[in-house]
Amino acid sequence: MITEPLGREMADLASALRRSTVEVRDHGRGAGSGIIWNSDGLIVTNAHVARADRATIVLSDGRTFDGTVTARDPERDLATIAIDCGGASLPSATLGHPTDLRTGDLVVAFGNPLGITGALALGVVHVVESRGGAPRWIRADIRLAPGNSGGPLADARGRVIGVNTLIANGLGVAVPITSVHRFLSDAGRARGGSRHRAA
Amino acid sequence: MAASTTTPSGGVLESLSNDLAGAVDRAGQSVVAIHARRRIPASGIHWRPGVIVAAHHTIQRDEEITISLADGSTVPATLAGRDPTTDLAVLKVDEAKVPVASAADDAAIRVGALVLAIGRPGTAVTASLGVISAVGGEWRTWHGGTIDRFVRLDVSIYDGFSGGPLVDAAGRVLGLNTSGLSRGAALTVPAATVNRVVDQLLRSGRVARGYLGLGLQAVRLPTSLVERHSLPNDIGLMVVSTEPGGPGDRAGVLIGDVLVAVEQTPVGDPAELLAFLGGDRIGKQVGLRIVRGGEPVDVSLTVGERPQQARGTRRGR
Repeated sequence: MITEPLGREMADLASALRRSTVEVRDHGRGAGSGIIWNSDGLIVTNAHVARADRATIVLSDGRTFDGTVTARDPERDLATIAIDCGGASLPSATLGHPTDLRTGDLVVAFGNPLGITGALALGVVHVVESRGGAPRWIRADIRLAPGNSGGPLADARGRVIGVNTLIANGLGVAVPITSVHRFLSDAGRARGGSRHRAA
Repeated sequence: MAASTTTPSGGVLESLSNDLAGAVDRAGQSVVAIHARRRIPASGIHWRPGVIVAAHHTIQRDEEITISLADGSTVPATLAGRDPTTDLAVLKVDEAKVPVASAADDAAIRVGALVLAIGRPGTAVTASLGVISAVGGEWRTWHGGTIDRFVRLDVSIYDGFSGGPLVDAAGRVLGLNTSGLSRGAALTVPAATVNRVVDQLLRSGRVARGYLGLGLQAVRLPTSLVERHSLPNDIGLMVVSTEPGGPGDRAGVLIGDVLVAVEQTPVGDPAELLAFLGGDRIGKQVGLRIVRGGEPVDVSLTVGERPQQARGTRRGR
């Protein structure tokens, strides 16, 4: 019987994802999801979830923080939010490799669809769309809803491989985390540049 | 990195994921993209060497059809024939250096079986996961085709679904998927039916069906009429249209006639009549019992062959 270990692994995976997924409240515009990117309190979400300069971040254990949107890229539909967690170490997501994904691989999404906090969805990779050899979109046969935006799409080991971003023709569409890496390095350079100018 | 656990490598979840991706990879080798409609290409299966099967409704032109294979090559294809009654079409290609689909045992078609619907609506292979939700015996489609088993899926339908294979977790093909046989619901035409139709289409280019050239509608007959003439059934099929020069017209059948029996067998449902009109009836004489103006009349008619439907025009994925 593999159903028993299957269920146990799925439950473990869900609780790990639950800890590293946050709710992003964009004052008055409803809630989306976000991913704890590092233990210092950097949150990655969609640009369309973090529209304002500030957002409220709610952790799975209920702790609530005021966050500042530190970078936005509407083209990639990505944003970062910094929270001051007073030196506490936050449960960050484990990251995977979108380039290893194959059509048919199991994926799970975690988030707050339609205001339901901490909901898991299971599906498979429908197709990974590439451009110039790099993954551009991960399309998944998975049931998502508004509120999943900004939350993690993870592989069968619970490693985050994408940021759930939109629903197109019934398919869940995620930005691969390879794009997040590029976005973060671009944002870092931009910040470095502005500091330099300010000096 | 703060504590955030993942499942250990080698877990069953990961091995299931690998199995599913492996099944898609294996089966996907024989799944092709068919360029025979606007917008998005349709899916097809390399069924036998040089023989591609597809869903009839997705093949919207009869000429200038090309096929993209898993190895990245694109080859011209000719339409060998189509059977709108089972929503199947067969195309031939000269050279296809990709494997043919490997069929699963018929016993693999079971309610609850974990299945993947595979497509190729372009260059890349696509997949969706689900289960077989219902299995039944032989059934007849709205257009009169016979499907060996009823196989309904709990699988999401996306572009490229129709014409692609339904495969088991080992990548073996259970049948051809289509949303064109039941108002958009996900159904699979089992491999046995595909084989039968492929044989017929390769032999004659079509699946011949008998034809009366009559438009019929079920009507309830008055009890007095049924009793007076000892009719076998209180439901008959009223003739609401006749094809000029068609078999019914030539035999003198008139609009308003009510058909109550064919070859002494009562008919109360157009589907029963469709079932009766197999290809083997073409050219044969059949006796019709008709009620005309309240009186029974016997008419002898020569069954014709149903004209072929031109091409797939219905919307579908």
